[in-house]
Amino acid sequence: MPETVSPGLKDELVAQIGNLRAFAVSLCGDRERADDLVQETLYKAWNNLGSFQEGTNLKAWLFTILRNTYFSERRKKKREVEDVDGAYAAKLSSSPEQHGHMDMRDFQGALSELPDDQREALVLVGAAGFSYEEAAEISNCAVGTIKSRVNRARRRIAERLNLNDGEDSPADLVGAASIAASRGA
Amino acid sequence: MTEDDKDKAQRRMAVDASKSTRRPDDEIVEPAAQPDASMSPALQAHIGRQVRAVFDSVAQEPVPEHLLRLLKDLDDSGES
Repeated sequence: MPETVSPGLKDELVAQIGNLRAFAVSLCGDRERADDLVQETLYKAWNNLGSFQEGTNLKAWLFTILRNTYFSERRKKKREVEDVDGAYAAKLSSSPEQHGHMDMRDFQGALSELPDDQREALVLVGAAGFSYEEAAEISNCAVGTIKSRVNRARRRIAERLNLNDGEDSPADLVGAASIAASRGA
Repeated sequence: MTEDDKDKAQRRMAVDASKSTRRPDDEIVEPAAQPDASMSPALQAHIGRQVRAVFDSVAQEPVPEHLLRLLKDLDDSGES
């Protein structure tokens, strides 16, 4: 449809596909479904590029499309599927691609058990690199709401994984360091 | 610089400083790692690293061919 998609803008779209996939997996916990979501997002984005102002935040715009697509579909499906959250947790923990580090598996389990809104906030701010303001715009809520969701998400994960606060717990920090190292490899 | 100039400059600095501290909360652009008073910075950082590790493990995978093809097809159909 848009005849005026500049090559630069198209390159930017392509450059965001990896982030969109990671966000989609974090939302739905299902890789196949995540790629469907990304595909739908790219399609919608392409057909609405006219309403996107070049030079503004393309990444935030794409993330907004993706999460709105996901949550509107989820609302529809929730009537059909009994236990979406249960299915999510089961899929993530048994995902064959995610072999390797136990700490990462444990962490993914804890992440998957968070309520949708908390997981979304934590991923947007903690991993996707958005500010609280941007995350609030993407999730269509107040900045304070995002902050409290992120804080609650962190506390819940810490409880779930028995991460001790107060005194530093060296074992946990060593685990994080080895994840960081394996990412670099 | 005269004593008077110095005095003025100091006063200006004081005004600037009070401005920045009086800014209402919603005007301040928060850094990504917002401190949570109820959790130690070390633990917050630890959780932050883990979330990023999970996210990056997917984000850094090669993009599936069919997604790249989709954009190419859309591009081609726009040109014709």
